[in-house]
Amino acid sequence: MASVTLSGVTKRYEDVTAVDDMNLEIDDGEFVTFVGPSGCGKSTTMETIAGLTLPTEGTIEIGGRDVTDLPPKDRGISMVFQNIALFPHMDVYDNISFGLRLRKYDQTEVDRRVEEAADIVQLDGMMDRMPSEMSGGQRQRVAIARAIVRQPEAFLMDEPLANLDAELKVHMRTQLQRLHRELDTTIIYVTHDQAQAMTMSDRIAVINGGVLQQVAPPLECYNEPANRFVAGFIGSPAMNFLEAEVRDGGFESQHTSVDFDPAAHGVRPGQEVTAGVRPEDVYLSRDAEAAGSPTEAFDAVVDVIEPMGSEVFVYLLFDRDVETSVEGRGEGQLLVNLDPDTEVSEGDDVRVVLDRKKTHLFDRASGDAITHSIE
Amino acid sequence: MSATDPATGDDDPTVEMANQADREEPDLDRGPIEAWAAKMISNPQRAYRMTFYVATFFFLVTTLFPFYWLLVVALTPRNNLSEVGVLLPAGFNPGAFIEIFITLPFHRYVFNSFLIATIATVAVLLVGSLAGYVFGRLRFRGRRPMLLLVLVTSFFPPAAFFIPLNRLFNTNVDVLRPLISAGSLYNTPYAVFIPLSAIFLPLSIFILMTFYSQIPDGLEDAARVEGTTRLGALFRVIVPLSAPGVATAGVLTFISVYNEYFFSSLMTDGRPGSWAPMLEGILRFQGEFEVLYNLMAAASIVAVLPVAILVVVAQEKIVSGLTSGAVKE
Repeated sequence: MASVTLSGVTKRYEDVTAVDDMNLEIDDGEFVTFVGPSGCGKSTTMETIAGLTLPTEGTIEIGGRDVTDLPPKDRGISMVFQNIALFPHMDVYDNISFGLRLRKYDQTEVDRRVEEAADIVQLDGMMDRMPSEMSGGQRQRVAIARAIVRQPEAFLMDEPLANLDAELKVHMRTQLQRLHRELDTTIIYVTHDQAQAMTMSDRIAVINGGVLQQVAPPLECYNEPANRFVAGFIGSPAMNFLEAEVRDGGFESQHTSVDFDPAAHGVRPGQEVTAGVRPEDVYLSRDAEAAGSPTEAFDAVVDVIEPMGSEVFVYLLFDRDVETSVEGRGEGQLLVNLDPDTEVSEGDDVRVVLDRKKTHLFDRASGDAITHSIE
Repeated sequence: MSATDPATGDDDPTVEMANQADREEPDLDRGPIEAWAAKMISNPQRAYRMTFYVATFFFLVTTLFPFYWLLVVALTPRNNLSEVGVLLPAGFNPGAFIEIFITLPFHRYVFNSFLIATIATVAVLLVGSLAGYVFGRLRFRGRRPMLLLVLVTSFFPPAAFFIPLNRLFNTNVDVLRPLISAGSLYNTPYAVFIPLSAIFLPLSIFILMTFYSQIPDGLEDAARVEGTTRLGALFRVIVPLSAPGVATAGVLTFISVYNEYFFSSLMTDGRPGSWAPMLEGILRFQGEFEVLYNLMAAASIVAVLPVAILVVVAQEKIVSGLTSGAVKE
């Protein structure tokens, strides 16, 4: 068990910067998730921690020891890989004990530890199976057993659930949390799936374009995103954004205008901002009292309805002429998350309000968050 | 035609022709060959199968008959050699298989060859594995030109290297004096296995490179995180998973070096103590006044045995490596 510290870690390939000046402190026993879109540098960051890739600049410390130039085997870490990466020519026992045998542990100690690890991931009685004879979930458990058997200072998990089917993924998610509780070891987890990041982590590190965007507990990332990227990436379905301009006593976008006191929230009239509001913070005006602090109502048309059972997603257009794009929600569209009992049908005219308390403002040029409430 | 003849009920022209042939057969007075040809035309599948058997038979005869004839010659007593037949030996003298070891220390020649081939195979697999790993798994500037350069060396005829190498190996190098009595590599196993290893190396590099490049990166990363170095990952994970490729490269190298003629016959003086290879031994049965064909034939058969055994063993390994479907994930 150990803390992991990245200071100024940068990785450049020829003319591409995969990771840019990453500074991050991970506490002993913490579960931290690196999350971001594909190609954002989260895997490269993890590889630099593992020692599979050497950083161009910066240092990495594990447990207070500078490991920047140490090979992976001397860093006291273990890793679970996306493609599971069991050695196909070895049976389960040999796979799990591989690292112990390389370190010349005593045979009885190897046996004891392998048994213990197999017990934790419930693999008893499968010691002589070959990986090719096992199901995806079983292989994943062998990979986890191989990682925990050496009792490393930190676990690295690179999208370990990516190749599992949806049901198993949810099951393994809870298993991993239990494992973390039992072992109380530092876990660094990489995923592009913000749901996994939200559910499992103590803290989330959101990465985009090789740059760390925000490191915070999941709900803080959700409620107080540091910038527009984090706001759009964390949370499903994603936040609604409205390009707006601040004027005296409010902001105005193409289709809406909302009153608030700019000076009290650090913006000045004439400033270009992006207003963000999550689908669950938009209400039909007839339910306006449910919003903590409803804005003025504005007109919209119901475009598409997606009933999910426990809730219903309603895509609204601000007017009937708005052109929709296959590439995602654009200006003039608004996604609302409503109670399933709400009676709406496609083509209806509705009036909606936003919750001022949950309306975020981002600087248009830099994307940085200005305020998370305009009440 | 099928439209006018609904009775056949089939559009397949070959069936049509077959039916036609069956119907018309009694009317024509054909000889047996003509009838056979007609059957072949109506049913090409038969002709293909026939061709396959003929080709296989031809191939087996051309490759195996010389061996049989070696056996015939070997078994023929020395005095009857002029009367040796094509199919049966003129007389029966299995003693030739013992005589080859008495007349000459032929076992020593075979041992020399075996040792040289083994060292060459080990050296080629070792160096080839390192080079195959680098070319197959690492990306670096100049990879392609370097690979091409390695392959280019195998384009030269081996004879082109002979004269400079022979001069080199006959040069006395003082540094070598404590290691090799004469101080030169001539008449040592090194004189044979160094050039041969170098000549057969590019092919092995190419084979191993192809195999190693197909092992998923994750497996190597996993091995390195678990506690191996890059080299350890190569020999503990990548090589075992590439067993078919390693066996192929190894067998090819071993057979090539073991059977090699040119360097084998010129890099030593031909005496068994000078590490002359098996081939020199066989040629030694050719005296000034007499050629002992029966002994040469017996020696040839004995010399083939190690390779035959090796191939049979390796074949099993190759097949088992392929069927286990090792590289799946």
